[in-house]
Amino acid sequence: MYKNQSLFLWLCLLMSSFGAVHAKNGSAFGKYHNNTEVQQILKDMQQSHPDLIRLHTIATSPGGESIVVLEIGKNSATSPAIFVGANFEGNIPLATEGALSFAKMVIDSSKYTLGLKWFIMPLPNPDASKGYFSDKKYERSVNDFSINNDMDEAVNEDGFEDLNCDGLITQMRVKDLTGTYVISKIDPRIMVQADAKKGERGIYKIYSEGIDNDGDGEYNEDGEGGINVGIGFPHLFPKNKKEAGLWPGQTPEVYGIMKFIYDHPNITMAYTLGSSNFCLNPPKSGRKSSINSESIQIPNRYANMLGADPSKTYKMDDIIEMVKTRFPNNKEVTSSYVSNLLGLGQAVNPLEDDLKFYSKLSEDYKKYLKNKHFSIERLDPPQDKDGSFELWAYYHLGIPSFSMNLFTVPKEKGKEEKSKEESKAEKGDVLNEKEKALLAYSDKEFGGKGFVQWGKYNHPTLGEVEIGGFVPYLESTPKPERIDSLLTIQLPWLLELSKNLPDISLADHKITDLGSGICRLELFIENKGTFPYPIAIGELNKQPAPIVIVLNGEVELLQGLKRTPLGTIGGNQIKKLTWLLKTEKKPTISVTLESIVFGSKVKQINIGGKL
Amino acid sequence: MKHIILLFGLFLVATIAFSADKGKIEIPLRFDRYYNYQEVIEALNVLHKAFPELTKLQLVGKSEEGREIYALIINNPKTGGELSKPGVYLDGNIHGNEIQAGEVCLYYANMLLTKYGENEQITKAVDKNVHFIIPVVNVDGRYHFFVDANTPSSGRSIRVPKDDDGDGLIDEDGPEDLDGDGSITQMRIKDTLGIYKSDPIDKRIMVRIKPGEKGEYSLLGSEGIDNDNDGQLNEDAEGYLDANRNWGYSWMPNYVQSGAGNFPLSGVGIKAISDFVYAHPNIIVGFAFHNSGGMWLRVPSEKSIVVDPADIAAYDVIGKEALKITPGYVYQPSYDLYATYGDFDSHLFFINGVFSFTGELFQREQETYRTNINKPTQVSEEGEFTRGSPPEVSREQLKFNDNVAQGELYKDWKKFKHPTYGDIEIGGWVKMSSRLPHPFMLPELVHRNASVVLLAAGNTPDIAMDVFDKKEIGKNLYQVRVRLQNKKGLPTMSAYAVKSKLYPQDILKVTGGKVVAGGVLTDYRLNKVSYKEKKPEIQFLSVPGYGIAEFQFLIEGKGEVTFIYESQKAQGRTVKINL
Repeated sequence: MYKNQSLFLWLCLLMSSFGAVHAKNGSAFGKYHNNTEVQQILKDMQQSHPDLIRLHTIATSPGGESIVVLEIGKNSATSPAIFVGANFEGNIPLATEGALSFAKMVIDSSKYTLGLKWFIMPLPNPDASKGYFSDKKYERSVNDFSINNDMDEAVNEDGFEDLNCDGLITQMRVKDLTGTYVISKIDPRIMVQADAKKGERGIYKIYSEGIDNDGDGEYNEDGEGGINVGIGFPHLFPKNKKEAGLWPGQTPEVYGIMKFIYDHPNITMAYTLGSSNFCLNPPKSGRKSSINSESIQIPNRYANMLGADPSKTYKMDDIIEMVKTRFPNNKEVTSSYVSNLLGLGQAVNPLEDDLKFYSKLSEDYKKYLKNKHFSIERLDPPQDKDGSFELWAYYHLGIPSFSMNLFTVPKEKGKEEKSKEESKAEKGDVLNEKEKALLAYSDKEFGGKGFVQWGKYNHPTLGEVEIGGFVPYLESTPKPERIDSLLTIQLPWLLELSKNLPDISLADHKITDLGSGICRLELFIENKGTFPYPIAIGELNKQPAPIVIVLNGEVELLQGLKRTPLGTIGGNQIKKLTWLLKTEKKPTISVTLESIVFGSKVKQINIGGKL
Repeated sequence: MKHIILLFGLFLVATIAFSADKGKIEIPLRFDRYYNYQEVIEALNVLHKAFPELTKLQLVGKSEEGREIYALIINNPKTGGELSKPGVYLDGNIHGNEIQAGEVCLYYANMLLTKYGENEQITKAVDKNVHFIIPVVNVDGRYHFFVDANTPSSGRSIRVPKDDDGDGLIDEDGPEDLDGDGSITQMRIKDTLGIYKSDPIDKRIMVRIKPGEKGEYSLLGSEGIDNDNDGQLNEDAEGYLDANRNWGYSWMPNYVQSGAGNFPLSGVGIKAISDFVYAHPNIIVGFAFHNSGGMWLRVPSEKSIVVDPADIAAYDVIGKEALKITPGYVYQPSYDLYATYGDFDSHLFFINGVFSFTGELFQREQETYRTNINKPTQVSEEGEFTRGSPPEVSREQLKFNDNVAQGELYKDWKKFKHPTYGDIEIGGWVKMSSRLPHPFMLPELVHRNASVVLLAAGNTPDIAMDVFDKKEIGKNLYQVRVRLQNKKGLPTMSAYAVKSKLYPQDILKVTGGKVVAGGVLTDYRLNKVSYKEKKPEIQFLSVPGYGIAEFQFLIEGKGEVTFIYESQKAQGRTVKINL
């Protein structure tokens, strides 16, 4: 059976040498950059800005490709950093272009590297990205990790074949007594499930394009790879999906990314360019969970201890108060402590306090796009996926995580209503919104070439079939001439977002002389940024590293510590901390805001009152 | 800070005293002693050098502090390669302080090698199985447990620094060995307002006062000072990353599972061991030894995870016998103890398809001081006022210490001038007590527990394949029946591995002749066959413990036909027949 595969390849070559039109159809979708080219661009960037840029190779994919992170601002002192990852699933080449273009924006404007570092990773799933550049183009999101998908005696023995030699892997429809599909009456390109209730009977079976190489009755069920880097992270790791791997971080790309990020504790925000869009829609809510901060049920054994009613629900803040009353000496009663104590399990929905900034920034983003005359009348971005990087960044790193999908197909509004009426009135089938939008987009943008018209083919085992369907990557990958405008309109928003980072400093201080050499020292710490530090989910995770206020000088502390963790500080807020000091000399003491994220700031304060 | 320098000086003296020479390490190894990290490595080398044809010493990886983690692989190459036979895995000491786990592993290796060719059971186990032995997982932990002052329970963590108290400093306030005796014991201070007094029978024991009674002491916790002046003592010690919460299956972040680490397999030594296990897919049964309490724990480690009854039955084959080999132990799912996420046993079972056990070594109840050990010590109601054990139990443990362990397990209270508290007393159970048997009790402990591993090895699948029926049913067409019989208690694959498609099933393959049809023979007497639709010459299967799997093939042709059985975890078989 393996012989067939090479035979087909040979036939294709033969046909294309006769100048088959379709062979070039793939290139009608343009030339995005493959990993070799991406690596070269990164090297060029580094070489033209050696003082600013450093490259980190953080992993090698199972296919032997390097995963590289571009660090911008390498020489600046300790400063917060933003991590930008793109195209984790490998099937959105536009996202990789976005990351490269974004890196250029940051490099070109010194404004965004003042007191800020960037780590930009354009292509964490290079193996999968080969799918787009393949001479048999198919939507690929898995790497070259060896996986036996069909659990038989061989690995990767039954992938796709480009039978009609158009350079694209589409679908095969074949008349079959047990088929369940019929041709849509609304648009004959689309196949729909027959509706037995309406007296319809299925006529067709649908397969992906290819042959049954291993003769097991299944088509293309064990192709190349692998693990999907985009769903291999630990938050809500989809352990029942084979393409996620057996555990989070099994594949070296994911492991390398997690390690790199934890090795750089100054990372305080993460951006993801890919399929979800947290800039427009906050991370998904509504999952079942016992740790929703608005309504927590206290397990029996703790309810008694805390004097609570186990049948009622409480807010996290109320429980924190109860626990503090019960353990007055415990200084560290936070949401993290409480959820661990009560065994509440993991947070699976964004915390209420965090949704506030997500919602506000989403409104701002919509206004921003409107001002730029950028229509959001497009298909909704896909929802965040379990095991994705963007979810992990929010839920485990405990930092603001924003994602952006740079392109979806415009909605087909007018026709939608019409066809709904039509279908209700006379026809049995309905096209879904996506199919309608894609067909219209294919017609308008590509003169119909976004869909391969069903064409007859004589299949070795299935007999006479027709091959056709949507061109791979149609949905996510616009024409190359559209790239620039899409990126220049949308990406600057991510630069705007960076202005919201916490900006923490000592705003003021007050010294009150209580007599007999005793003074009260009050420090007013200010956060001029919009984001709290940490955000609510960060408080739960005890991340990022704390800001600590350190007093040094010849004073005796009657109340308060020499090293005092600042704790959580809200956005645009002032937090007051108080010490009671005993000193005869009224010396000058130094106050340090110590942080491995923001760097340390020192201020001298004269206890005598004059600075 | 001066104190620390002073303490450091004392501590060097203690260290030198402790690592006094305990005799040359030679074959057979001795088990009336504990081996420190360096001696474990030496013992492994000695075993390897004495039995080069049966052993391989493999460097698995290095720890956070750069120490080597070794596996001793025992395999008889004459009976097959390292991956061709059912693998038995055992390790110990993933928690740095749980050191006797390492001695169990060394004992098992020593037993297999020194009795090979002498004892029939052992000879069989060496010939039939491959044994992968990693005596010390947490190599840094073992090193520091011997060298540093510790309590019996401290030093569990692997050496990944962590800011436990959230003050921006890392590992800055651990305990100190104030009296320089090599152990972290307890501190008490005379205090009439305290809630403790001396036990009237044994003054060393601290008992809680009854309401209204006058107190004598306050307890101040473990030996140490407030290094970071935050009003808390010993609250940010070395670590904390619990290597037994850092594995990939069902890993949860720190706020759900403390000690989890930053991400799955973030511990470098742990990652190396995961790679080692993954590279040996023939491992079918695994043991991770810990202390203490006397328990055999199996999956699941968390209530919401359901384990197939067939797999529990397979576990029981070993677990229920283990209970009799190690009297006093309990055998239970590990969540019965408490729920854990990211534990090693779950990773072994759910990722590697291994029947995995945790062995919690040593029951302190064995430290008896009475005429009839079967008659439990009478405990009065006063028990509720004590800290920890009832006073009767503490009195017996102290008597055991005094007269059976010659006072080596307990340090009597002694005066000490504490930089913050002033006049205090320091005393209590020393490092090498409580969770560790006194060396005189070690030989029995290591032997009984190693016997359980040997029992498990004996239960790994052993498949017999035979063609039990052959008849000509047409011209050049034969009906051939093949039976695979498992003579042992463990299946060739766990039900979980089959159902979750963890890895490909065992294969029965026919070569020579054209297989027209083939499938599972569900009842050979009634001739009931479930034929496979495609590729009948390759059948997928697994063989249950003490069970059979039967197949029927209709084969066209003449001459030699070969049946090949291949399995990831059981040894393969080949049978040839002539048509």
